[in-house]
Amino acid sequence: MGCGSSRLDRTSGRLNGLNNSENASAHDAKNLRVKLVLLGDSGVGKSCIVLRFVRGQFDPTSKVTVGASFLSQTIALQDSTTVKFEIWDTAGQERYAALAPLYYRGAGVAVIVYDITSPESFTKAQYWVKELQKHGSPDIVMALVGNKADLHEKREVPAQDGIDYAEKNGMFFIETSAKTADNINELFEEIAKRLPRPSQVQPSQPAS
Amino acid sequence: MLLSLLSRRSLEVDSRDSYGFALRPQHIQRYREYIPIYKEEEAERLEKWKIFLEQHQKPAQACFSKEEDETPEFKHKGSSEEEHKEILPVGATELKEETSSKEEDKASLPAVATVLKEEVSLEEECKETLQIEAIKSKKETASDEEIKETSRAGASELKEEFISETSEEGDASRGKSDFAGSTESETKREAQLSEERKTCKVQKRWAQTRPSLHFIEKMMGLRVKKGKNTKDEKVNGSGDRFVSIKEAEHLSGESEDVLEEVCVNEMSANNMNASKGESDLGDGTSQEPFFSWKQELENLVHGGLPKDLRGELWQAFVGVKARRVERYYQDLLAEETNDGENNYQNSSSSSASKWRRQIEKDIPRTFPAHPALNEDGRDSLRRLLIAYARHNPSVGYCQAMNFFAGLLLLLMPEENAFWTLVGFLDDYFDGYYTEEMIESQVDQLVFEELMHERFPKLVHHLDYLGVQVAWISGPWFLSIFINMLPWESVLRVWDVLLFEGSRVMLFRTALALMELYGPALVTSKDAGDAITLLQSLIGSTFDSSQLVLTACMGFLAVTETRLQELREKHRPSVLVVVEERSKTGQDWKDTKGVATKLYSFKHNPRSLVEEKSIAEGLEDAPDLRDHSSNLDELFSGLNSEIDSLPDLQEQVIWLKVELCRLLEEKRSAILRAEELETALMEMVKQDNRRLLTARIEQLEQEVAELRQALSDKKEQESAMLKVLMRVEQDQRITEDARRRSEQEAASRRHALTVLQEKYDEAMASLAQMENRVIMAESLLEATKQYESGQAKALSSPRSSRSQGSSQDSPRKRTGILSFGLGWRDRNRSKAIFDESVDNPCSPGRETSNQEKEQ
Ligand SMILES: Nc1nc2c(ncn2[C@@H]2O[C@H](COP(=O)(O)OP(=O)(O)O)[C@@H](O)[C@H]2O)c(=O)[nH]1
Ligand SMILES: [Mg+2]
Repeated sequence: MGCGSSRLDRTSGRLNGLNNSENASAHDAKNLRVKLVLLGDSGVGKSCIVLRFVRGQFDPTSKVTVGASFLSQTIALQDSTTVKFEIWDTAGQERYAALAPLYYRGAGVAVIVYDITSPESFTKAQYWVKELQKHGSPDIVMALVGNKADLHEKREVPAQDGIDYAEKNGMFFIETSAKTADNINELFEEIAKRLPRPSQVQPSQPAS
Repeated sequence: MLLSLLSRRSLEVDSRDSYGFALRPQHIQRYREYIPIYKEEEAERLEKWKIFLEQHQKPAQACFSKEEDETPEFKHKGSSEEEHKEILPVGATELKEETSSKEEDKASLPAVATVLKEEVSLEEECKETLQIEAIKSKKETASDEEIKETSRAGASELKEEFISETSEEGDASRGKSDFAGSTESETKREAQLSEERKTCKVQKRWAQTRPSLHFIEKMMGLRVKKGKNTKDEKVNGSGDRFVSIKEAEHLSGESEDVLEEVCVNEMSANNMNASKGESDLGDGTSQEPFFSWKQELENLVHGGLPKDLRGELWQAFVGVKARRVERYYQDLLAEETNDGENNYQNSSSSSASKWRRQIEKDIPRTFPAHPALNEDGRDSLRRLLIAYARHNPSVGYCQAMNFFAGLLLLLMPEENAFWTLVGFLDDYFDGYYTEEMIESQVDQLVFEELMHERFPKLVHHLDYLGVQVAWISGPWFLSIFINMLPWESVLRVWDVLLFEGSRVMLFRTALALMELYGPALVTSKDAGDAITLLQSLIGSTFDSSQLVLTACMGFLAVTETRLQELREKHRPSVLVVVEERSKTGQDWKDTKGVATKLYSFKHNPRSLVEEKSIAEGLEDAPDLRDHSSNLDELFSGLNSEIDSLPDLQEQVIWLKVELCRLLEEKRSAILRAEELETALMEMVKQDNRRLLTARIEQLEQEVAELRQALSDKKEQESAMLKVLMRVEQDQRITEDARRRSEQEAASRRHALTVLQEKYDEAMASLAQMENRVIMAESLLEATKQYESGQAKALSSPRSSRSQGSSQDSPRKRTGILSFGLGWRDRNRSKAIFDESVDNPCSPGRETSNQEKEQ
């Protein structure tokens, strides 16, 4: 019986986005908790961004992500609220996209990453934006991230392209470098600020 | 065989384990604690394996040598002889003998050889170099790898002979001399080899397993042949997966074919002899000992494989020898150069370039900074992955395979690694790493169901936290625990997995992990904590024996048959979603050609059947059902024509497909709506249920607490009661005592009064007596006085005598009266006794009364 329901869970991403939105960002106004998913082409630096943010390290020889990997990190904002990010870093290879709904379903935040030296990865990022618009939670906070900003001499995607695309799709845009740590904390702080606060969005949650 | 190089270089840097893999800083301490345990276990299993191999080699050897009568000098060389007989032309045997004697001539450094012999790593190197050396000495080889088949066979036999010689204890002296001979050449060859690597030439890096393992190899090899045949039948209809193998077989020369045929013929002959082809040893061994033997092997595998045998045993398990097609690997790699000449169809070359790019991205990210994966190691890795992608284009390259290939390369030569990879990916993980990853998704649903079945409480808790089991288990399954568990545990799981030849061990291990760590998860408060905790627990599962035993013993009910049933049950739902994705994904997969698009349909005709069966389930959409069966026909038509599509026809078909897709979309929209509704209901129910169950649990706990309190109180009460009763009893006893003493006192008092009475009575009667005495005295006196008066009166008149008598009587009375009054005064308080005293008194009273009257 339980299986029946989980099957349905899986087959209806849209629905779950809706229903699980209570999981997305919760619970008391001072201590927020949010599920964040990283999407984007393989090799754009998703894992490096997470490692930089959570452990403060950059390992130029990081491991390939198989399936997905999880890390969590809590930050404090200036208004003394804390935000706990539960971060799912997904595998980038195209075929693993089949598993992505499992991870972005119910996510309050999606960070879509591309590599500024790879136009292909920018195209891929746009695909992810569309996919999330279709199947993600309707109130999902989306960020578009152009990574490897340190490689500006090899840049192939102009910053303006990212800005324009993000604006069109109501996203927040930032260029980062996991290598130099540029804008990594800013990225997550900005996301935290944009999170819907429980008081504004869900004045009456189902009693728990 | 990169690991062997590694062990020689003694790479036990602090942050790496004995396999050269990086340890997480938080695990270094625990790993150190486990080093002695691992060593102990290793020594133990080495002993067991030695005994096992010795025991089972002898019968095999005996029966082989029977057949080898013509060449008696080979008798002691173990089962490799069998191959000699099968393949070796007479000429080759001669050659071999020649070279081996040459090698013996070179024997000059026995001391060095002994050292070498101790090092397995070098041994492997020697085998390789020897082999190459031998080829060189035959001079057919020279610049590239275009070797004439006869010499190839001869060379491989030669090498085999060295292996058998060096690895057999009894032949130590000969082995030594061989090695001594080889050391000289090794240094020479080293340079050549590395040159070859650098130029990225296709090279032959292949070694056969040691003869002592051949009996295992043979048994496992049979599994492959059976599997392969059935697969061929299955695949022939729909896929072209093994066409390339067959082509390679045809291309690679006649002797190759003969070899294959001989093998196959032999196998089929054996199969016919033995009933159902179950007993593969065939050579005179009956079925009974075969089974006990396999059980014994299984137990050994559960205990883990010895490090030095692992690589070869894995190959034996996967059936590398039975799978291997001579030159197939080299030919696959040779295609690389043809790439530029556009030998490929457009579609496949674009996907091929995709793999290439992905592989390039992933090579530096495979066991980064592992000491053995230097430039040469990476070249091997690259070749291996490319070759596999070409071998099985329906899979191509999938992330995770880089780790598998890397691991295999650490344990065995490159071509052996290739065939091992082919073996377990094609057979054990069929459909897992394909473009749609259908089977891996199915397995997750199956695992979820098993979790529900086995650990309902844990699943409930995870549900409550909003954690889906597949989030965690998905990566476990896809990576086969690489980078998840500590390496010792990974290898132990792989040992069993490769031995069993199915994915059962994946499930059992995952369940065992949940069993081991589930209880700890129940304490976690939110999703993040639960996952973090589980990850860190998993990452420090250094007790690999406990893990494997829990997995193998604790979940015996999880069998391949059961898994197959569950997979059948869950596959349709996955296929529906995959189908949907492949539709919606069209707009961004523009780069894909029509052929690729249709390929996915063609590749997976099953999905359409499933679709159809689902459609049939929908009673309110009969028209759709018709469409879907039309669709089926259409596609079957397409499948036959697809290979030679002219442009126009292609467009027509494309439109048709488009149409069908729209129809399907409509139908799936209906389906989806229904699903949504049911799911919504389910969710609402679940939500309520969740709350309720939480409440119930809370209440239940309270009730339990109250009950506990109540029983405590009761206990106290009964204790109190007991005390009370005892006190009461005491009280009663004292009361009794008191009453008794009171009674006694009363009776004493009574006795006292009685005595007093008696005393009084006695006193009274005494007094009376006294009175009487007095009275009697006074009477006596009176009488005396009267008598004296009488005497006087006798002398006086009679008249006076009468008067006097009348006066006399009152006087006499007064005397009695005075006594009476005195007596009465004395006894006034004791009036009661008057009665008893009455009689003596009465006359007194009477007198007094008479006096008053007067
Ligand atoms: N120069 C530069 N390289 C980066 C940066 N972030 C990641 N990389 C490199 O890109 C490669 C892939 O990164 P990874 O995080 O594994 O990519 P993922 O597949 O998206 O997880 C790594 O080898 C990193 O060395 C960055 O900010 N700058
Ligand atoms: Mg990654």
